[in-house]
Amino acid sequence: MARLSRREFLYRVAAVGGTGLLLNTLDAWGSGMQSSVNGPPRLTGSGKGRTVIILGAGVAGMSAAYELGQLGYDCRVLEARAFAGGRCQTARRGVTIKEYGGESQTCDFDEGLYINHGPWRIPYNHQSTLHYTRLFQVPLEIMVNDNDTSYVYREGGAGPLSNRRIRQVEIKADMRGHVAELLAKAVKNNQLDQELTPDDKKLLLDYLIHEGHLSRNDLQYRGNEGRGYKVNPGAGLDPGPGVPSDPLGFKDLLASQLGNVYSAVHEFSQQATMFQPIGGMDAIAKAFALRVGKNIRYNTLVRSIRQQENGVTVAYRDGIDGAAGSVSGDFCLCTIPLSVLGGIDTDFSPKFKQAMKSVSYSPAGKIGLQMKRRFWEEDDFIYGGHVHTNFPGIGSISLPSTGWQSQKGVVLGYYNFESEAAEVSALSLKERVEFALAAGQKIFPAYRESFESAFSVAWHRIPYNLGAWADWTQEARKNAYPVLFEGEGKVLLAGEHMSYLPGWQAGAIESAWQQISKIHQRIGV
Amino acid sequence: MARKRDPIGKFPVAALLVVVAWAPCLPALAEEMSGKALFLRNCSACHQVDGRGVPDAFPALAGNAFVQSNEAEVASVLLTGRNGMPNFSKRLTDQDLAKIVNYIRNAWGNRGAEIAAERVAALRADLHAEGFDPTEQNIRH
Repeated sequence: MARLSRREFLYRVAAVGGTGLLLNTLDAWGSGMQSSVNGPPRLTGSGKGRTVIILGAGVAGMSAAYELGQLGYDCRVLEARAFAGGRCQTARRGVTIKEYGGESQTCDFDEGLYINHGPWRIPYNHQSTLHYTRLFQVPLEIMVNDNDTSYVYREGGAGPLSNRRIRQVEIKADMRGHVAELLAKAVKNNQLDQELTPDDKKLLLDYLIHEGHLSRNDLQYRGNEGRGYKVNPGAGLDPGPGVPSDPLGFKDLLASQLGNVYSAVHEFSQQATMFQPIGGMDAIAKAFALRVGKNIRYNTLVRSIRQQENGVTVAYRDGIDGAAGSVSGDFCLCTIPLSVLGGIDTDFSPKFKQAMKSVSYSPAGKIGLQMKRRFWEEDDFIYGGHVHTNFPGIGSISLPSTGWQSQKGVVLGYYNFESEAAEVSALSLKERVEFALAAGQKIFPAYRESFESAFSVAWHRIPYNLGAWADWTQEARKNAYPVLFEGEGKVLLAGEHMSYLPGWQAGAIESAWQQISKIHQRIGV
Repeated sequence: MARKRDPIGKFPVAALLVVVAWAPCLPALAEEMSGKALFLRNCSACHQVDGRGVPDAFPALAGNAFVQSNEAEVASVLLTGRNGMPNFSKRLTDQDLAKIVNYIRNAWGNRGAEIAAERVAALRADLHAEGFDPTEQNIRH
């Protein structure tokens, strides 16, 4: 083994649980938690007699309407769609969408089955979203966001571990076991003596033996029962103790790069505990609409935004009868995505318009596939989680975290972003299904034969969204974001795009909370 | 991670066609590398196959003055995104980006000077656009 520099060594030890760094991190963590936004702003005073126009009845718009309503503001929410929620939608039987340039599509899943084609996860650290699910008593269940039993499939790589499905647990156990063995032997053979005192050495060996399930005698990794058995243990003499399994080869694992499927910890937004509302994400939209629905004018298309000395006037057209109308208010909170707002007639300054233009939006696509049999549970014993693939345009295939052991289920057949999503969205609805089935069939033999019906969405082609979420470049964050965040006159912007949590409902909610504080402050009541 | 697509010319055409016949790849893969194929694959979902776009959503490229004016500005839009449009810097090589720019500047009756891949590479650096990196994307939301 090549000699490690002290710095590299400390880094590696810290990465797997060194105590010094851990203590430091605990401090940082503690203060980070205190400063994060866990609840709506505590505003005092009254908004009675004041009107705030809110454009968009998505999660941002409705959070603002709810909180401002508590203060007595008269909120007028204009919503282009016939329903509330924005991207917070759930596709179930009867839901219809039509993408720009695409075919009309009506979901015909069986009653009770659904796919969250917009947001689908709520991590424990999104306390703003969880504030409302708690306040509104939206029932939650665990969303299995990580499942060691699920498969990884790498296509086109080197060695015998490519082009086949492998359970994540085997990869994790064996990569970590082999790496621990390597490091342990280096320690044992005094190759790190410059870096380690004799006490450090002993403690580190203890740790590596534990971490990698190494033999204490010779520091070999020979597999361990956690990676699974050839024959599982059971009763009597057969299977009795079962038959242990053999580890995957270290060189083969390295060649396949399968170890890259995990890291020391998940990204912050992907960590357990992950939640989902029971019955579909739109339970959140519905809970908001129940409380602020009386303020929402549906089927209302914003035509123009104009500012006067003492307020804002928004002209609109009724999407059903075409009638023109307008509403005036003291302030306007605009939650319309920038990709859509750019096409609306406004009197914003050239600087503001330029800032709007410099933000790009990520395409994203999902497909829900109703399966008549839960083969992933019945044949492969996988309960929720993701199958990670490197298939372009597919990414991960996700298995439902609801309806365990029932007859049918809806699998997320692909979740693609950016240019891959642009590519897949150019396919017809039928071609998208075929594309998804052909990929899934490589993982699960029963995939295609179990398929019943599909619902797919490409958010960049959805009217009133034109993109999944704001895709900030460093340049745009630096130059455009502060301009947009400041707003213009009596128009402020809110939504996931006005946060560092792009694409998350928490970003929408927290930006609404910030902006209503500003509005309340500027109105000065 | 292996490259997602093999460079053109690596396989004889016949072998490529056999692969395409059963692999679940996107249709445009069969004619990979022509400007038109790259356009169909990456751009047509929004700007439409005929380049006419969708009113109020996606600008028409056919007959579009901006598309036919400065080639570097057009390439810059593909590299950084703009006005809701995504960027394609990570997914497409300088050469592929140049081919798309050259295609849309000369399709549907459009006329515009061509851009070279080297110029796109220089723009990529100037604009601090992300480098070409077609490895798989992690789910984030």
